[in-house]
Amino acid sequence: MTPFDYQRIPEAAAVPAQLTPTVRPLAGGTDLLTRLKACLDRPDALVDLKASDLGRAIDRVDGGWRLGALVTLSRIQHHPGLRADVPALAEAVSQAATPQLRNRATIAGNLLQRPRCWYFRNERVQCWLAGGEGCPARSGRNEHHAVFDTDGPCVATHPSDPAAALVALGATVTVLDGGGGERELAVADLLVPPTDERRVEHVLAADDVITAVTVPSAPRSTYLKAMDRAVWAFALVGVAAAVSADGEVRLVASGVANTPWRLAGAEAALAGPGLTPEAIDRAAAAATDGAAPLAENGYKLPLLRTLTHRALTAVA
Amino acid sequence: MDESDLPTWPPGTDLETVGTGVPRREAPAKVTGGAVYSSDLRLPGQLYAAIARSPHPHARVRSIDTERARRQPGVVSVIAGEEGGEGVTWYEESVPLFGPVARFAGDEVAAVAATSLEAARDAVRALNVDYEVLAHVVGIDEAQRPEAPSIHGTPGNRTTDPKVEERGDVAAALAAAPIRIEHTYRTPTAVHNALETHGAVAWWQPDRLTIWASTQGVTQVAQMTAEALGLDQSQVRVITEHVGGGFGAKQVPWKDVAIAALLSRRTGRPVQCAYDRHGENVAAGKRGATRQRVRIGADTDGRLLAIDAELVGDSGAYQTAGEAAALWGPYQGLYRCDNVRTSVTYVYTNTGPAVAFRAPGYVEAAFALESAMDELAHRLGVDPIELRRRNHTGVDQQQAKPWSSPDSLPLIYDRISALAGWDARPRNAPPAPGGDGGVRRGWGFAASDWLAGKANPPGYASVELRTDGSAEVVTTVQDIGTGTRTVLAQVAAEELQLPVEEVRVTLGDTAAGPPSPTSSGSATTPTMAPAVRAAAADARHQLVAAAARQLDCAPGDVTLDHGKLVAANSGSRTVAEVLEGLSPAAVHGWGELVAVDDSVSVRTFGAAVAEVSVDTGTGEVRVTRMVSVPDCGRVLNPTLVASQIIGGVTQGIGFALTESQLVDAELGLPVNDSLEEYLVPTVLDICPIEAVPLDRPDTGANQLGVKGIGEPPMIPVAPAIANAVFDAIGIRFHELPLTRRRVLDALAEAASPDESEPA
Repeated sequence: MTPFDYQRIPEAAAVPAQLTPTVRPLAGGTDLLTRLKACLDRPDALVDLKASDLGRAIDRVDGGWRLGALVTLSRIQHHPGLRADVPALAEAVSQAATPQLRNRATIAGNLLQRPRCWYFRNERVQCWLAGGEGCPARSGRNEHHAVFDTDGPCVATHPSDPAAALVALGATVTVLDGGGGERELAVADLLVPPTDERRVEHVLAADDVITAVTVPSAPRSTYLKAMDRAVWAFALVGVAAAVSADGEVRLVASGVANTPWRLAGAEAALAGPGLTPEAIDRAAAAATDGAAPLAENGYKLPLLRTLTHRALTAVA
Repeated sequence: MDESDLPTWPPGTDLETVGTGVPRREAPAKVTGGAVYSSDLRLPGQLYAAIARSPHPHARVRSIDTERARRQPGVVSVIAGEEGGEGVTWYEESVPLFGPVARFAGDEVAAVAATSLEAARDAVRALNVDYEVLAHVVGIDEAQRPEAPSIHGTPGNRTTDPKVEERGDVAAALAAAPIRIEHTYRTPTAVHNALETHGAVAWWQPDRLTIWASTQGVTQVAQMTAEALGLDQSQVRVITEHVGGGFGAKQVPWKDVAIAALLSRRTGRPVQCAYDRHGENVAAGKRGATRQRVRIGADTDGRLLAIDAELVGDSGAYQTAGEAAALWGPYQGLYRCDNVRTSVTYVYTNTGPAVAFRAPGYVEAAFALESAMDELAHRLGVDPIELRRRNHTGVDQQQAKPWSSPDSLPLIYDRISALAGWDARPRNAPPAPGGDGGVRRGWGFAASDWLAGKANPPGYASVELRTDGSAEVVTTVQDIGTGTRTVLAQVAAEELQLPVEEVRVTLGDTAAGPPSPTSSGSATTPTMAPAVRAAAADARHQLVAAAARQLDCAPGDVTLDHGKLVAANSGSRTVAEVLEGLSPAAVHGWGELVAVDDSVSVRTFGAAVAEVSVDTGTGEVRVTRMVSVPDCGRVLNPTLVASQIIGGVTQGIGFALTESQLVDAELGLPVNDSLEEYLVPTVLDICPIEAVPLDRPDTGANQLGVKGIGEPPMIPVAPAIANAVFDAIGIRFHELPLTRRRVLDALAEAASPDESEPA
């Protein structure tokens, strides 16, 4: 860890203008602290959003829910309304991390976590994503890595469980920028694969702050997760399935790509709103269309098909 | 008094305190945070050390520029390179403390002492080390190749010549055997990952070096540190109050001790050196990976005719003291077989050094042998437990003498079979190959032996009676968290007829008396409990003699009866009265265990039954029930014994299902060097564990009939689970751990051997 200043700004609206590439926001800190300790991030200053009036409320809004950016995963997990109305989100947060971490971690921060790739996180390795060259995972230990879109510069998977659920639910984030401007962005558009110029998994600028997450209702939704132990592990594969208000079925996988991965082939194979056993069989088989697994992670394909099948069966 | 002078406690002896579940003595301190571990220590003026580790798996250290590090705020001392190590050598290869060559990623090259840990760590980052990177090799197969880089200049990177032991004519017996099973089994590198990392505080004062160490052996740390630093052992005092887990990794001192000592000598201040979790994962010991080529020959009744085991273990970059892995053990001893050959080779690799880890070698070998035995049972259609009965031996075939408890294993088979409901277990129809056949269930069995669990003499203890009638047990031996304090108090209380609350125990300090054994080989209780009993008996005899003098009768006429000394015809006195009358002279009993009976061979046997569920769609293996029946002789404290069984089974479940240190071959780096990625089981991964020790005094082991329990319960767990997985899905695994990846890949292969995956 390198030394940094610690700042508190009471008005959330005043925070974005203070942010720069080296003055960064701090919320739950469950990911940022581990990055600081590994010297992956070396900020000059941290602005503690918890000291501000940034949103902490869970509000019913027309057609869904609005969650303040500082809402913790624990509160989502235990919120009766969310559990009934957007079970995919409640199930995703309840399978993330541990109770202690969920008590700290915020929903907005969860979306902006960096990958847990063990090369990216290793201080002794300078991979492309960490600002260096090459991807040691591609030819190395890649059993946890991506199976889709694996010809890019990075094969790390996105670590968030809620992100897959939120994309399946069609959720959006509200973003406040340093000039005082506010915009609405689909979570599906917030999270994008890193590029040479932007080696991070989201599109936010240095002075952007997420202020809220808006989630449309989908009582028929679920999130299933496979880990190598019962709890406290990142997803090998997760699948979110959600039936929207207009009957559209969205399927999104975690643990398989740089970002939450829409299972477009599976959605197309459903060929209509009726989730019949035959349609579910077809969709599960198509879930791995386009997959290009690495040497050690071919097992993720049958896993993805099983979880897709079970998720669809659960919301049918 | 020598423990062998005391009468045995045969089975059925009426005991008051021994055998009851006295709560762990230090439990209140531990649950309230009051227990002070060496990493908690804060001495006046204490400095904090951080270690610079090589980022390369194999590299020559050309130079180390310490200038910038020395200028960092708070830095008091920097020691680097060979000169910084002041001639101290380490490991069995006697390499310099900070070598000119780093042989694994994590090998120590320098250390810093500063006024805070943060300052020390910052200074380590400010060191400028110039490395010449050398070719490296990881993995035992790769290290054995002729073209592999040589790590210590030995042929095939072997640590020594293969250790071969053969009886009978294995080749002929195998060739003639009607049934043969042959496989190559592999077990992973596993890391102890004790909750408390390795750490020590050293304070070098003019006349003495005092070390507060997180160790399993205060005496051994004093010996080895004195030797390394060129001191006499009398000049080194080692104190260990509490240990947050050792599991074998703390049975020898690691460099934390020497680094703290050298920095203390330089600075004149106490220095604390504790490993961070990364250091703990890469440079503080591991259970080395194994490759075991096993061939078994049997007759059509399942009787073993021949066992041939070619065993290779990963030693890492260096060898540590003590047995890192007795891989030959179960092959040589668990079953009756006239023709057995084991060949054991340890291979150097550019990874962290291996060290003993809970039943080292036996845990690895039992997976292979007990998987093969299960396969033999299925091949012949013989019940797996019945197959073991047919191959039972009451004799140590290596030493040609009887086991001290020759009928333990058959009794264990009876007990576990009844407890588990083995004969009534559901029999699976043969599963359809592949997934997604939903969740399937299975049962598995494995037996175990362990070469230790017996006394490791000498053990010494004293018992002093206080004027209030209470007793104080003093011994140098450490309590590594297993409850040694508690059982020693129970044994003294039994002999003195005192309530256990009136026995204090002082331990874990080399200044308190003569040497004590390292807590390894499950030896602490069988060594120390007899010594403490002898000390208490000695005190009792002195007390009786004093009472006889005071009551003016012969010692033979006085009996101790729960706090009172009663003379046959001349009244009685309380213990306190006798002691008061004796004052200022005191009753100070002395006890020792200095030898063991060599006419029998002491072993600790056991068995486990596992029930599992296997989700063929997701590859998830869940252990849903474990039954464990180990033989530890007499149970001194059922609560503490159950704790050891539960702990061993838990660690065994981790070994079977999730734990494996993964190393990137090209970079030579362990990639999962944290508790986030190295998956020890969580409480939700653990099932109900039925912990039922045989509880049969083994009076061939010692007069108390007690043997060790720390290690054995782990041994049969992984093979019992693997055999249960076979029962569930019909797939025999030859490599651990059974991750989703391994299970799903196997299911895919079973479903369509010619295609890559099932539909």
